[in-house]
Amino acid sequence: MLGSFFNIDGGYLEGLCRGFKCGILKQADYLNLVQCETLEDLKLHLQGTDYGNFLANEPSPLAVSVIDDKLREKLVIEFQHMRNHAVEPLSTFLDFITYSYMIDNIILLITGTLHQRPISELIPKCHPLGSFEQMEAIHVAATPAELYNAVLVDTPLAPFFVDCISEQDLDEMNIEIIRNTLYKAYLEAFFAFCKDLGGTTAESMCEILAFEADRRAIIITINSFGTELTKDDRVKLYPKVGKLYPDGLAALARADDYEQVKAVAEYYAEYRALFEGAGNNPGEKTLEDKFFEHEVRFNIVTLPTTVF
Amino acid sequence: MSLFRSEDMALCQLFLQSEAAYSCVSELGELGLLQFRDLNPDVNAFQRKFVNEVRRCDEMERKLRYLEKEIRKDGIPMLDTGENPEAPQPREMIDLEATFEKLENELREVNQNAEALKRNYLELTELKHILRKTQVFFDEQEGGSSATESMTRALIPDDSIARQAAGPVQLGFVAGVILRERIPPFERMLWRACRGNVFLRQAEIETPLEDPATSDQVHKSVFIIFFQGDQLKSRVKKICEGFRATLYPCPEAPSDRREMAMGVMTRIEDLNTVLNQTQDHRHRVLAAAAKNITNWFIKVRKIKAIYHTLNLFNLDVTQKCLIAECWVPTEDLEQIQLALRRGTERSGSSVPPILNRMDTLENPPTYNKTNKFTSGFQHLVDAYGVASYREANPAPYTIITFPFLFAVMFGDLGHGILMASFAAYLVIKERTLGAKKIQSDVWNIFFGGRYIILLMGLFSMYTGMMYNDVFSKSLNIFGSNWRNNYDESTLMNSKALQLDPNSTAYFKYPYPFGLDPIWQVAENKIIFLNSYKMKISIIFGVFHMLFGVLLSLWNHVYFRDRLAIMCEFIPQIIFMCFLFLYMVLLMFIKWVNYSADTIDVKAGPYCAPSILITFINMVLFKSSKNPDVCDDWMYAGQGFLQKLLVVIALLCVPVMLLAKPIMIMRARKQHQPLMNAGHTNNAAENGDAGYQLDDSMQQVQPVPAHHDEEEDITEIFIHQGIHTIEYVLGSVSHTASYLRLWALSLAHARKSP
Repeated sequence: MLGSFFNIDGGYLEGLCRGFKCGILKQADYLNLVQCETLEDLKLHLQGTDYGNFLANEPSPLAVSVIDDKLREKLVIEFQHMRNHAVEPLSTFLDFITYSYMIDNIILLITGTLHQRPISELIPKCHPLGSFEQMEAIHVAATPAELYNAVLVDTPLAPFFVDCISEQDLDEMNIEIIRNTLYKAYLEAFFAFCKDLGGTTAESMCEILAFEADRRAIIITINSFGTELTKDDRVKLYPKVGKLYPDGLAALARADDYEQVKAVAEYYAEYRALFEGAGNNPGEKTLEDKFFEHEVRFNIVTLPTTVF
Repeated sequence: MSLFRSEDMALCQLFLQSEAAYSCVSELGELGLLQFRDLNPDVNAFQRKFVNEVRRCDEMERKLRYLEKEIRKDGIPMLDTGENPEAPQPREMIDLEATFEKLENELREVNQNAEALKRNYLELTELKHILRKTQVFFDEQEGGSSATESMTRALIPDDSIARQAAGPVQLGFVAGVILRERIPPFERMLWRACRGNVFLRQAEIETPLEDPATSDQVHKSVFIIFFQGDQLKSRVKKICEGFRATLYPCPEAPSDRREMAMGVMTRIEDLNTVLNQTQDHRHRVLAAAAKNITNWFIKVRKIKAIYHTLNLFNLDVTQKCLIAECWVPTEDLEQIQLALRRGTERSGSSVPPILNRMDTLENPPTYNKTNKFTSGFQHLVDAYGVASYREANPAPYTIITFPFLFAVMFGDLGHGILMASFAAYLVIKERTLGAKKIQSDVWNIFFGGRYIILLMGLFSMYTGMMYNDVFSKSLNIFGSNWRNNYDESTLMNSKALQLDPNSTAYFKYPYPFGLDPIWQVAENKIIFLNSYKMKISIIFGVFHMLFGVLLSLWNHVYFRDRLAIMCEFIPQIIFMCFLFLYMVLLMFIKWVNYSADTIDVKAGPYCAPSILITFINMVLFKSSKNPDVCDDWMYAGQGFLQKLLVVIALLCVPVMLLAKPIMIMRARKQHQPLMNAGHTNNAAENGDAGYQLDDSMQQVQPVPAHHDEEEDITEIFIHQGIHTIEYVLGSVSHTASYLRLWALSLAHARKSP
């Protein structure tokens, strides 16, 4: 019954989405791309794929940054197109995706202004998916409270920011805390939203978000060693949605060094595998790389089943 | 023969001298008769031999697109003479490249200058507006200071008291210009960030300004912000920067402002002259380019196409010549040879190219030669499916059937004339209209199908005459063969009267051509026409379908496929004839045997049977129940004959379904062992000529390119099943579908008055 009404709202976007998925480069394409010797070769090969002529109007010689910009532009155009045609609950879902980019942009801008960089230099570095109207005026704020009251209160990020309001100055440490608190609130809200939606969305998205939450918890813990972040503060930054919640997070909160974190991960099969063979020596994959690899694999598995 | 079948194709191998290859391919391209095969499918696009040339063409195309964009922006008409320039020689490519490079650079430089000038101009205009608008603000402030003061006092009494105590406070201000749509968030942000301690006034700039980067027209507003203290000043400035507002210095004293305004005005005027000169220069450059740009586009595309084709070729070991494989219509081999010779001459090469025919087992591509008249119909047919190689091409028959069936529905002489004259206009003017290259989709549909529309119009005129319909009115050319046989008083007193064909009202012979005009005034015109058009539609439909089945026979005979004739064509034709052709026959029997002017009741209108009911009863094996005075059957032995026909027709279905696959299976089983022993001639006994042919070929060449016949037996069964179901259900549903001819004709007749 649900399926018979699906096409009213989702039919067009479903079609688009499937099309985009087919447009993703295949293994064979990558094998060909490996053989490319110059960026011109790459351009020529991409002309035969769904990327088509997105570089056709660029004068040679090509630069990597140009390709990067064009690809991002393409992504953003396609995303905005889908967002513009979306109805509830998909529109909220897509908005949630942009929030993480918004958080990154805010942090980037604040860090930039902290280092006395002019705002005009920072704006091009922001991801266009996460841009919002008041973004460029962000350097007005000197404290988190001001940031909230002047800039963020109008943005959808406002509810996430409520936990970070304090009168402290914005310094490196505080920015990191703000970033992680924002992310925690964002992940929890997104998780709750997906859970509410139920169905396939809940199944696949909750898995992905839970993994993201766990990864953040572990990375925060490891990075906090040797800084002035207290254990109590650290606990506040853990997103409470992952598989580690609640026992794993409690154990992580007590951890004092890398070995102890590893010991916590031992209890969870998938994370244990990630810790094994991870190292900081050259030639070895770092833990972050391992996490990233796992995430990608994870997304590939869930992609076909995710029906927006 | 080639009108009715696709062209006879041959696979050819072409040896071209490296230096002559380019001009030869160019000549062949102008001919458009060859289909080249990709001889290096495993090689990446960027590893092919002429990839650099293709890339250079890409680059040239990019430059041309840039030029075209700029030309369009200025609205300069692009000259399109419709001529078709030859592909330039490779050495001319460098000249072209240089020309484009020069043009692009020049244009970019002009654009850059223009942009800088425009930016300057924009800034000055904005400043002019600021000075003008802020004047109003300042005037208000000075003139109505008491009013503002009372307002402030009412809102924040403490502050105003403090201010009065400290005397007038020096207020700072900034003035600037901002995009109009950004004002609301800008205002909100100012309020929040400065906690309401700033005062913002704004006024709209009425005329839209031009954005120098995109040259879009944008609406902007002038604003002025009053504040107190340096901290607020830096904050306000930051917000302005964040909202991309441009701030301008604005002197406080009115005299300074006036002076500045004067200065700005003179500078704007100076700039205007410079801007105009730049614009003129740009226009000149673009106008020169616009004359040639279509030609250049065609040239570059031709070069690119040639190199793309050359990339499909193989290089031989000595690197001296290129080897190509292509499909060629055998009839046009002469022409191709000529083109090759021309190409060789042009390149000045001494060694002539060699064209070799190759033997192949591969299925050649279908190529139908068309001219401007048949191409529309061919496209129409191809939209449904392209026939296999050498299969009968249905397009020539469509030239008649398609417009005719349309006309059955559209039968109206007046509408037909309109349609035909519109199409005739397109046909007569096709040269000039075609050269215009109108891009509209709807127009192209009409223009592409102009001959179809012309024929549809002409046929509609004919059927319109048959229906005696001119804009839903009748023509009484020969005089109606009915007359009024009532006296005046009867006529005056009754609403409707009936004319009996069996009386003096009818002259006993029909109207010479088409429908009698009397029907136009008849109350039961629609009912009469319905019964007539319904039957007509079915008759046309059945004959149309029979014709299609007969075409398949022609195909089978051509391919010597005896099995298909026996197991497909014959049951199909029996099925069609025994059910549907029989129904058509019944219609004619009814028309001939029953009439109004007879004394015999059994042959009179009262006893005339309904063909539809008769047909339904026939299929359901029911006997028809007629009133006692009438015969149960239309002729003697009808009941038995009908049962026999239905039974035979139904028996044809399993034959269609199973016979061919079973025969193939048996044939395979029989000659499998024989083949091993080396006897192939026995296969002929299976009544499968096509088979034998193929098998003997397989013997000659152990690894054939295509194993068409070796397909799985289950697949054959499934295929045949689908085919049978489609045919049986299709013939029933198509017969019903032909009723649409009547339905649409009815709709046309009902709608037009």
